[in-house]
Amino acid sequence: MSSKWLYRIRTFRKYRDLLIELVKRDIKLKYRRSVLGYVWSVLNPLLIMVVMTIVFSSMFQKNIVNYPIYLLTGRVLFEFMKSATQDGLKSVIKNAPLLKKTYIPKYIFTLSKVTSCMVDTVLSLGAFFIVMIATRSAFHVTMFYLPVIILQTYIFSLGMAFFLAALEVFFRDIEYIYKAFVVAWTYITPIFYPLENLPHLLQVVVKVFNPMYCYIAAFRDITLAGNMPGPRIVIGGWMWAFGFLILGLYVFQKKKDAFILHV
Amino acid sequence: MSENIIDVNHVSIRFNLGNIKVDNLKEFTIRKIKHELSFQEFLALKDVDLHIRRGESWGLIGTNGSGKSTLLKTITGILKPYKGSVSVRGKIAPMIELGAGFDQELTARENIFLNGAVLGHSKKFMKEHFDDIVEFAELERFLDSPIKNYSSGMKARLGFAVATMVDPEILICDEVLSVGDANFKKRCNVRMQEMLSGGTTLLYVSHDIPSVIKLCDHVLWLDKGDVVMQGDPETVCKAYLERQEKVYSFASKKREDEAMINSGKKFDYLVVGTGLFGSVFASEARKAGKSVVAIDKRDHVGGNIYTGKKDGIDVHKYGAHIFHTSDKKVWEYVNQFAEFNQYINSPVARYKDELYNLPFNMNTFSRMWGLYAPEEVQRKIEEQKREYVGERLLGQQASAGTLPGEIGFVPQNLEEQAISLAGRDIYEKLIKGYTEKQWGRPCAELPAFIIRRLPLRFTYDNNYFNDRYQGIPIGGYTQIIEKMLSGVAVQTGMDYKEFLRRYPDKFKKVVFTGPVDEYFDYRLGHLQYRTVRFETEELDMPNFQGNAVVNYTDREVPWTRIIEHKWFEFGKDIEGHDIPKTIISREYSTEWKPGMEPYYPVNDDRNSELYREYAKLAEKEENVIFGGRLGTYKYYNMDQVILQAWEMAEKELKTRIVL
Repeated sequence: MSSKWLYRIRTFRKYRDLLIELVKRDIKLKYRRSVLGYVWSVLNPLLIMVVMTIVFSSMFQKNIVNYPIYLLTGRVLFEFMKSATQDGLKSVIKNAPLLKKTYIPKYIFTLSKVTSCMVDTVLSLGAFFIVMIATRSAFHVTMFYLPVIILQTYIFSLGMAFFLAALEVFFRDIEYIYKAFVVAWTYITPIFYPLENLPHLLQVVVKVFNPMYCYIAAFRDITLAGNMPGPRIVIGGWMWAFGFLILGLYVFQKKKDAFILHV
Repeated sequence: MSENIIDVNHVSIRFNLGNIKVDNLKEFTIRKIKHELSFQEFLALKDVDLHIRRGESWGLIGTNGSGKSTLLKTITGILKPYKGSVSVRGKIAPMIELGAGFDQELTARENIFLNGAVLGHSKKFMKEHFDDIVEFAELERFLDSPIKNYSSGMKARLGFAVATMVDPEILICDEVLSVGDANFKKRCNVRMQEMLSGGTTLLYVSHDIPSVIKLCDHVLWLDKGDVVMQGDPETVCKAYLERQEKVYSFASKKREDEAMINSGKKFDYLVVGTGLFGSVFASEARKAGKSVVAIDKRDHVGGNIYTGKKDGIDVHKYGAHIFHTSDKKVWEYVNQFAEFNQYINSPVARYKDELYNLPFNMNTFSRMWGLYAPEEVQRKIEEQKREYVGERLLGQQASAGTLPGEIGFVPQNLEEQAISLAGRDIYEKLIKGYTEKQWGRPCAELPAFIIRRLPLRFTYDNNYFNDRYQGIPIGGYTQIIEKMLSGVAVQTGMDYKEFLRRYPDKFKKVVFTGPVDEYFDYRLGHLQYRTVRFETEELDMPNFQGNAVVNYTDREVPWTRIIEHKWFEFGKDIEGHDIPKTIISREYSTEWKPGMEPYYPVNDDRNSELYREYAKLAEKEENVIFGGRLGTYKYYNMDQVILQAWEMAEKELKTRIVL
């Protein structure tokens, strides 16, 4: 048992540089392809925020003090999770040519995709800080807790991505099913509306069954209110994160040797 | 431990060909509900055993789809074996495709680092070797342009440079050097020679035989996932090229045959099934000046007497066939087509730890009872028979209420029949278990008629057959069929119904040697068969059992017999050399179900009656002649089949068989 883990750790260390190269490639290509490069990844969320603020802020004005920040906190994390899982889902099949020709631990692809999405998210936080300054919001000390929230979302997304990537190898329509699922998930997550606007029962459902709620609520606590998130949100967040990581890794590990026959 | 750097231990690789591709949940669910999910396995590698020592260089040859790349991928770790295991003790540089993992959008500089990382090198290491790589690839000027602008030769150069910059312990090359200009090829060869003399182990796949001979000191020849031969490059490559030539001439005959079939010509005879019956008939019809087309459902000719060559051994794929006859004309006839050896069938029987000669003769009896005089043995057997019959008679009469001596003993089942013929000892040790395995039922539940008589020999003679002539064609049976079919348009892999559909008006008369019930679409029901399943295995030893045929008469051993094919030809290959390996087939009796390979017709009342009904239908069928074992639902030895085919040919063609 221990030698097995030792072997795994050694393999991971051997391919650590590959992981870094793959993440670098993703980021580089993303910024290289567009003329505006990095500026675009800040501009994009800003533009969307402006549009959505114009449309929705009057609708929910009474409940929300700083609508742009409320919206952005929700969107940053949700978009991170969304792109990480959707890209992660395709990470194995997209690298089929490589998988067929050389031996590489297969999780490297999924891991690198989710990691590049995280790096991208962190880079695009620029937009968030611009809006903070523009709306003259207070910078609370509690915001130093943000990396922990991003880490939680990262682990959660990683678990999801492993699970989905393994399934996708066998069933290619998982991609479309998951896309539809994410749309529904977007609406059941209080991103652009306040949770309180939902009927009571639905509020409970969201709090209990929607992992993204934990991360978004925590993010809002530390930025908007300047509070540390409550224990239920923190512990819940960790539980979702590691629960999914274990599930994802288990499924991935179990099926990985059959990948080559199906990609 | 061992000094082998790569051990491939009896590896099989399996792919699923069923449902060609169910790769989405929707279809999967629908098929699952309709129970349409099938699993059709395809073995890309079959029991491949390969051991490579450090510093050796191995060439892998074989036609496309023979499993060469699959084997390389298994060694690299890309594919996991379905059976067997692989162990590799050393760092592998795979060149299955040069520049695998190059990203088209990235520059050469970036790709060097990426590709290096893909191969498992650290960034630090790559930085140290960066200049060497660029220099070897001669791409200094284009370092910062995206690789999508590179020619394939440039990419290959870069890929080769990255892969070989390190001195890997094992270098795997899969037909990668076919790109690039001559100059580069030369430098690649120099680099590879350098690595080889530096102690690198090489695995090299190529269709370019001269380069294999030049680079390698061992060669492995694969065909359809089987190892055909391994050994020194000259020998193996020579054998391979010879086979290729043969395959090529075979392919050209195949093309000619196809052209003949597709021409407007109408054939005199369509022979369905190219077993011995069909082939003898076809050959005679050709001699009589008729035009003949022959088809076979299998992808080879010869029916059940087909033998295939593997490791220099003729493997009897559909069970052991030993030619024996008392008919001089038949013997001379078959000797026209092949040279027969002096093989005499003398099987032995294993019962637990005991070994007995077959057929039942003085060798058997003396081993069993320690008696040496025929008279004593006869007395012993008579004693055992009398004892048993006496017991049984008492029992039967007691229940029937008659007095002893009034009626004779009537065996009620196979057990009673066998013991009353040979005594209890022989029955228990040599008949019971074997027969029960063969029929899948206890002997006491089998009808007595299966064994009508048991020949007991009171001489020390182990020759199984009583026939005057006996032997095995040197080089296998397939050559005989091939020679018989010369001048006949042959199409293998072709079903009768399919042929009718495609060429409805191609022939005047049909000779049908397939199952008669299948011909009539089973309209009266299925005829039953007893069938045998073979598990063939290649063993890395020169001698497994020391005899071609060993029967296992013990009920506990699941197989009925083991055939060791090489002993049919005295363990020698066609050139008379000893063969280092051996191939054995375990035979299992399996209950026959419709769709399975039919072997032995069952001659019980039900099936005989059913066949008679089919025979009536067959007679009414115009312009179709039924023949052979399956066509007439009767078991024949090979010589009997030839006689039957002659008889039919003489009647049909109005000729006489002349040798």
